[in-house]
Amino acid sequence: MLSALILIPFIGAGLLAVLPNRFSSSQVKWVAIAIASLAFVVNIIVGYQFDPNQISFQFEEVIPWIDGIGFNYHLGIDGLSLSLLFLNSFLTVLALMSSDRDLPRPRLYYALMLLINVGVSGAFIAQDLLLFFLFYELEIIPLYLLIAIWGGKRRAYAATKFLIYTAVSGILILAAFLGIAFLSGANTFDYETLRSAGLPFEIQLVLLIALLIGFGIKIPVFPFHTWLPDAHVEASTPVSMLLAGVLLKLGTYGLLRFGLGLFLEAWSYLAPWLAVAAAISALYGASCAIAQQDMKKVVAYSSIGHMAFILLSLAATTRLSIIATICQTIAHGLISALLFFLVGVVYKKTGSRDVNQLRGLLNPERGLPVTGSLTILAAMASAGIPGMVGFVAEFLVFRGSFPIFPIPTLFCMVGTGLTAVYFLLMINRVFFGRLSDMVTYLPPVGWGDRVPAIALSIIIFILGIQPNWMVRWSEAQVGRLIAPETVAQVTVLNPKGD
Amino acid sequence: MNDVFVQTCWLVPIYSLIGSVLTLPWSLGLVRRTGPRPAAYLNLLMTLFACLHGSIALSRIWNHPSQQLVFDWLQAADLTISLSVDISPVSVGALELVAGISFLAQLYALGYMEKDWSLARFYGLMGFFEAALSGLAISDSLFLSYALLEVLTLSTYLLVGFWYAQPLVVTAARDAFLTKRVGDIILLMGIVALSAYGAGLSFSELQSWVETSPLPSGTATWLGLALIAGPLGKCAQFPLNLWLDEAMEGPNPAGIMRNSIVVSAGAYVLIKLQPVFILSPIAEDALIIVGTITAIGASLMAVAQIDIKRTLSHSTSAYLGLVFVAVGLGHVDIAFLLLFSHAIAKSLLFMSIGSIIYNITNQNVTEMGGLWSRMPATTTAFVVGSAGLVGVLPLGMFWTWTRWFNGNWAVSWWLLGLLMFVNALSALNLTRVFRLVFLGDPQPKTRRVPEVGWPMAVPMVTLTAMTLLGPWVPQKWPYWLSATAPLGNAELPIVRYSIALIVASGLLGCIVGFRLVLRRAWARPLKVWLRFFQDLFAYDFYIEKAYNLTIVWAVASISKLMAWLDRYVVDGAVNLVGLVTVFSGQALRYNVTGRGQFYVLTIAIATGLLALWSFFGLN
Repeated sequence: MLSALILIPFIGAGLLAVLPNRFSSSQVKWVAIAIASLAFVVNIIVGYQFDPNQISFQFEEVIPWIDGIGFNYHLGIDGLSLSLLFLNSFLTVLALMSSDRDLPRPRLYYALMLLINVGVSGAFIAQDLLLFFLFYELEIIPLYLLIAIWGGKRRAYAATKFLIYTAVSGILILAAFLGIAFLSGANTFDYETLRSAGLPFEIQLVLLIALLIGFGIKIPVFPFHTWLPDAHVEASTPVSMLLAGVLLKLGTYGLLRFGLGLFLEAWSYLAPWLAVAAAISALYGASCAIAQQDMKKVVAYSSIGHMAFILLSLAATTRLSIIATICQTIAHGLISALLFFLVGVVYKKTGSRDVNQLRGLLNPERGLPVTGSLTILAAMASAGIPGMVGFVAEFLVFRGSFPIFPIPTLFCMVGTGLTAVYFLLMINRVFFGRLSDMVTYLPPVGWGDRVPAIALSIIIFILGIQPNWMVRWSEAQVGRLIAPETVAQVTVLNPKGD
Repeated sequence: MNDVFVQTCWLVPIYSLIGSVLTLPWSLGLVRRTGPRPAAYLNLLMTLFACLHGSIALSRIWNHPSQQLVFDWLQAADLTISLSVDISPVSVGALELVAGISFLAQLYALGYMEKDWSLARFYGLMGFFEAALSGLAISDSLFLSYALLEVLTLSTYLLVGFWYAQPLVVTAARDAFLTKRVGDIILLMGIVALSAYGAGLSFSELQSWVETSPLPSGTATWLGLALIAGPLGKCAQFPLNLWLDEAMEGPNPAGIMRNSIVVSAGAYVLIKLQPVFILSPIAEDALIIVGTITAIGASLMAVAQIDIKRTLSHSTSAYLGLVFVAVGLGHVDIAFLLLFSHAIAKSLLFMSIGSIIYNITNQNVTEMGGLWSRMPATTTAFVVGSAGLVGVLPLGMFWTWTRWFNGNWAVSWWLLGLLMFVNALSALNLTRVFRLVFLGDPQPKTRRVPEVGWPMAVPMVTLTAMTLLGPWVPQKWPYWLSATAPLGNAELPIVRYSIALIVASGLLGCIVGFRLVLRRAWARPLKVWLRFFQDLFAYDFYIEKAYNLTIVWAVASISKLMAWLDRYVVDGAVNLVGLVTVFSGQALRYNVTGRGQFYVLTIAIATGLLALWSFFGLN
């Protein structure tokens, strides 16, 4: 079942790559969407069969691969992975839908987009450290090519920067994984086995620091973040959506699963520093965002600020804060994807993303009124206005982290306050005021440019009003993650059994 | 009490929300054939439903104790958040007040916004606004109230920014949102802390939690101050007071709601939080100090304004300051009464000036005059509203202040002084505006002004009647405005002659207002010290400039500095590493000469170094 999640897009990518030339770009697009939707449907089936009350991994598949070093093809999911899997397959469909209809080299483009899906899904369900690493690296190559081929003016610079940063991140992660596998003497990369490895504290610390930097680059945390704004600015809209929506989540997922999961002792030792790093990152991202002139950069820096909340709640390591991690991951994935999509629409219609040039786009006759209204909505969701998913997630993050790290939490809340500042400044300049003469008579926004935004907005609202649908998947597994010795004590948390 | 209407009280906010959602086809331009009017009618209908449902529920629940309806909302790990709704005469009464004033304001908007092409969007926003307000009225959960306050912040932003093409509106909407947001975020900090310290987040639980509270006094103080911040921003109290004044750029029917009910919503939450403030005397003192400063300062600012809307908006801040003082002193019933009397009188005043603005498309009072004979209904509304505000015998504010001093409450002389000051300046200001607008010779812009049409006149006259009848409410239905004590029984006043003194202060204000020399075309006084004070008050004590020079400047420069650091230092370092790599590679490539001897030499040296290192370094 889980292999299908990897194989469908993988085979689909291969299929797309060898599609005959006479298929037009938009036909290729529809084939790609169909394949991604199939993966999404499989995901829904998995979600339907998933039992949220069961504590251990489900749908496990084990195939021995390289016996000599104990490397297995081992898949399995728990609630933490499941919600992220959903996010990934959903956003892939939307990103494919929002791709331009007449792209150059469509077959390569859509094949690469599907390959990203393979990499991310695989990483979320891999239960073997090396297998995770393989998928983690797999996703880098298509992304590099997507930025380098279909990017903006400085695409070569941005793509290379992304590649080098992520490669360094990969090396550190690999080093840490090899370290734990060899130093523990277990001769296996199996996640469950290594969890009980019980390494000495100093070794844990060294390995954890390698992991922290490795995943810290991916999240990204200040000061390892500079690849992100460049990559976002140069990437095309769908790639930005995937990058912000799911790829950054590999970093937080990695920290949660491997950093916290494998090195709990060292993790709690470093946690206060992580909380401080999160607060710095949140404020840094927010204050940089205020000064940006490019709409995409505003959103990119806001991503840095909001991803820091995830780090904060990871550092707190309470049951509530781990649940909050998942919520904030999903919330940020949905909201940032929506924001990047809308900025992309503005760019496509006006040819500019400069907040000093654009003005009055809310104009109902000649502007982009629906896009503008949706942008206001997305900005408010990001700023944590209740009724939308961002509020629930941030409230849980703050409520979960406050008892452990009150001061960093308060600073992160200031970061939330600043979110409103930079988004409002952007909206006020771009959408309010009189329509600037430069951008009059814009091409009309078709339904193709609205559907992904409306779909995202609806999900943002639904999860904001009914957050239980987001929380219930991971309730049971969280306790096990942060306190491995007390597995027996974790009772079924949802006695109503919905 | 298992009455259907009472049990489904929580539906009332949903009605307005449905109305708001129903306007979407028109506001998005999907339906163009009918024009935007049907959206307005739908919203009026939904608000009427809300009114009717509310009044039936109110009549059924009369003389019954309050009850809570609890809805489970979120369950995550050890945190359970439930949204509870409080059904009591107080809350359902507030609900009814919201629905009633909202209905009148929307009816009024039918005339006022007649020519606006995005009428549907306006009604959608008003419905949204009303939903949040009526939700607040019946909410018994601090969490829900916080959420609704934030929604109010958002809808204020959208309503103030309704005419988004005008430059002043753009800044006004931004300032309104950000100022309130500052308060909201600090309130959120307070709520997170409160919840983390183990308090249940419903108001009824808070009370019992406070009684058994284990908090140290320092924490309690910070907590109290954080909880004050939210209402502080909502009620436009110093130092977060300027947004209300700027928000006057928005459409007037929303201004009616904003100046009467929205500011009251903040105070309503404050009143419900009052048990927490008992924990910390500093928080109570802070309430009294903030309220006093705002009451005095805003009264002075109002006197110097020439924009007709702003003359009234500052006075809103001043009266809400009195409410803060009342809450700080623990006089919750008085706070309710003040809110009620102020809300009705202020919304009437705003309807009255709205009619003037609608007819002469101008807001500058020095360009008006002689309107009394041309707009009799409007004039009556203004006079009645003013009388309701300053405490003239049979009207609301008079009874409120009488109650405050009737001996049930511990009051002192400074409070009397404060009330006299606010009352005198309020009377002076209203008299001044009345003279400029309604008396005197007609000015060029006011010469041929008709009375407004029925969509605006009907709600205005209705509200005039309501203001006149308002004083009977606390007499006849004491439970509406007070959960605890019936207010009727008077005892011996501690401060004697207090009421006489307050009325005298109002009279004094009127007399000064009438004697004041009012110039029109040339409103600047000649004396330097007078000019100084005029500027000081007219520019709101230069608070805005102070903000621009401090907090706004700080945020702007820090963010510029950060962006610069990011671009040139952090990213610069990264690029430097890149450059170093490239250059060292470039330099090293000259070593690839193709000569075997050179390679052998390199290998020999490296091996030698390794051998040395292993020999000496590893023992």
